[in-house]
Amino acid sequence: MIFTNYLVCFFLVALGIYCMVSQKNLFKITVGMGLVDYGVNLLIVSVGFRSGGTAPIFNISELTRSSFFVDPIPQALTLTSIVIGACTTAMTLCLIIMLYKQYGTLQSDEIRRLRG
Amino acid sequence: MYDFMYHFPVLAIMALFLGAFLNSLVGRRNAKVRNTVVVLSMLAALVMMLSLVKPILLDGNSIVYWLSNWAPVEGWAIGISLEVDALSLFFALIVVVAVFVSGVYSFFYMDRDDSLVNYYTLFLMLSGSVLGLVLSGDLFNMFVMIEIMTFTAVALTAFRNTYEGALEGAFKYLVVGSLGSTSVLIGIALIYSQTHTLNLAQLAAVLPQADNPVTILAFAFLFVGFGSKAFLFPFHPLAADAHAVAPASISLMISGVLTKCGVYGIIRLGYCLYQNMDQPFVQYFVTGVGVFSMFVCVTMAFNQHNFKRLLAFHSISQVGYVITVVGLGSALGLSAGLFHAMNHTIFKGLLFLTAGAVQHAAGSLDLDELGGLSKKMPHTCALFLIGAASISGLPPFNGFASKWMIYEAAFQQAGETGNFFFVVVCVAALITSVLTLASFVKVAQSVFFGQLNPRFANTHEVSLGMRIPMWILAVLCILPGLFPDKVQQWLLTPATLAAVNAPGYIDAAMGTGYAAQHGVEATLSAGFGMSGAWQPVMWLLLLISVTLAVCIVALLGSDEKATVTSEISSSEDNDPKYDSFFSGEASVYSQVGGSDLFWGFKHNWRHYFSFMHNWHSGVVNDYTLYGAAAIAVALVLCVIFL
Repeated sequence: MIFTNYLVCFFLVALGIYCMVSQKNLFKITVGMGLVDYGVNLLIVSVGFRSGGTAPIFNISELTRSSFFVDPIPQALTLTSIVIGACTTAMTLCLIIMLYKQYGTLQSDEIRRLRG
Repeated sequence: MYDFMYHFPVLAIMALFLGAFLNSLVGRRNAKVRNTVVVLSMLAALVMMLSLVKPILLDGNSIVYWLSNWAPVEGWAIGISLEVDALSLFFALIVVVAVFVSGVYSFFYMDRDDSLVNYYTLFLMLSGSVLGLVLSGDLFNMFVMIEIMTFTAVALTAFRNTYEGALEGAFKYLVVGSLGSTSVLIGIALIYSQTHTLNLAQLAAVLPQADNPVTILAFAFLFVGFGSKAFLFPFHPLAADAHAVAPASISLMISGVLTKCGVYGIIRLGYCLYQNMDQPFVQYFVTGVGVFSMFVCVTMAFNQHNFKRLLAFHSISQVGYVITVVGLGSALGLSAGLFHAMNHTIFKGLLFLTAGAVQHAAGSLDLDELGGLSKKMPHTCALFLIGAASISGLPPFNGFASKWMIYEAAFQQAGETGNFFFVVVCVAALITSVLTLASFVKVAQSVFFGQLNPRFANTHEVSLGMRIPMWILAVLCILPGLFPDKVQQWLLTPATLAAVNAPGYIDAAMGTGYAAQHGVEATLSAGFGMSGAWQPVMWLLLLISVTLAVCIVALLGSDEKATVTSEISSSEDNDPKYDSFFSGEASVYSQVGGSDLFWGFKHNWRHYFSFMHNWHSGVVNDYTLYGAAAIAVALVLCVIFL
């Protein structure tokens, strides 16, 4: 059921945020960011779902008023969002590598030279 | 008549992005080619936006550009649009001017760095994304631009990756910033589920009618998302970390341009999409966030020992002013907010550039170390004083004119509603301004005056190429302060009217009559009653009342002062180091140490300051927690009260 999707996606977002807040390891923080992303992607795709609809692939001649298909726009948005999420992960990992070289640690509570 | 100008918005955005890609293609071989490409693309964007001033701001037209000419069909916007009304153009002008100044400054400021091709590529992408955001007519497009903006800003923050803390600041910005972006995206998904459109004009027509819990949740998510891009409380630690370590030209971009995107988003959201700025809860909520930001950040600035970190806190404090008055929901408040947003870009940009000049010349930003640079860098010192006077709201600089309007707007709101909350807002704005001035006295004292640290005896004035961008900003500081009525007539009034004129915005994109068909009416048509930027009688009354207040405090305070002194003398062994304006400790070289200038004040507030110091712990998990808490609080409040 589509209702399960909504439950799962908000559960994923909450889990991801909990992971970002509670985990001190930088890689685990990255995993948390990923979970938040996946949750939101699931939300967007679920928003466009229509029960019994076909895939939104038509020639312009086949398209009639009675065609019943799932909403294509959220799918396009999800693709964009997935790409952005991949960029976020790549950039975070890249920063973590350089942080490890400079600070010699992966613990977020030891990386706090800027504070106060 | 203006047919060819119809294409200018899209061309200006393309010019910047094209410049970025050309730059990475051809810029590697030759520095001259690279700089030419950068200057040309910045100039193209600047000229195109300036040429739109007459048709849009003065004649009151607006441009709607449907990409690939996918015009609306049967009242449904199926294409992606760029919609430029006076509000968008107002912010676009701020963006292109700031980008141009920052770019020219970079040529001379970044002369000791390598891999500059990457720098300019990212810089132009940042500029293009910000311009795209303010000109966009599509909500999802705004999200994509926000993401490009965040990535490039993070990369540029970490550009000097060997600089102490640069990677750390960038990492925090990326992690917590992604929370803000996610919030925007969830808001967009929720809105789409209810309205099945992402076009701003069509949303503005259908959202106020589709008043259900889901759209209210979407409002909360979008507000927190845009607020995080403006670094409002509690997202401000990100800004402080990012500003302190980024190159000065990028600090200008982050404080002057990126925060304006958040402000633009909030104005669009409240005044155009939801049109709920007339509801008391929204007014309290937005104004409350603004007051918190301006007060917390200005007090945080007292504790700072890094020049640019201090400026960063002041930057958020000033953005707090803007959000405060935007939240008042009156036409006067909105135009005051727009005026202050514009001035904030100018004077904050100037201050960051002077900090960059000090860093470039002296190689340090440590307030405890610097001192006496006015003899070595007279131009930079004069420029800094202009910027400091502007941000502190001293006449005749621009900060005074806009802060004056802010006080007026808060005063008017308090008078009209008779609500004590807005009285507090007005007083908080005044106190924040005083604290800002105090804080800049400290900076001026510890960087430019006092004794020269022997370490900086060989410091020289920076090159002319760095001074010219700063002088441009200094002139822009003075002109709006001298002619606020002209600024109001040409820029603020059109932008304000465009912001509150939701039906005009809708009809321009969707066809005339679309707004009336959906029952959308302009909410704030009138209300410029008190909008005199200079009313001498009022000014005199304020002066008298402030003088009276000072006298009363001084008279009443005499008894209390004795008790405080005796209390300290009993506990601290009659140590005079807690007196105001007195240096706390004997320092290495005996100038009045900048951080000790307000020793007495800081001593009396020590519990608050130590709490705030611990609260800004520097751990990324804590900042994420604050962000998540902000989202949660916003959701709960909006669901209960809206």
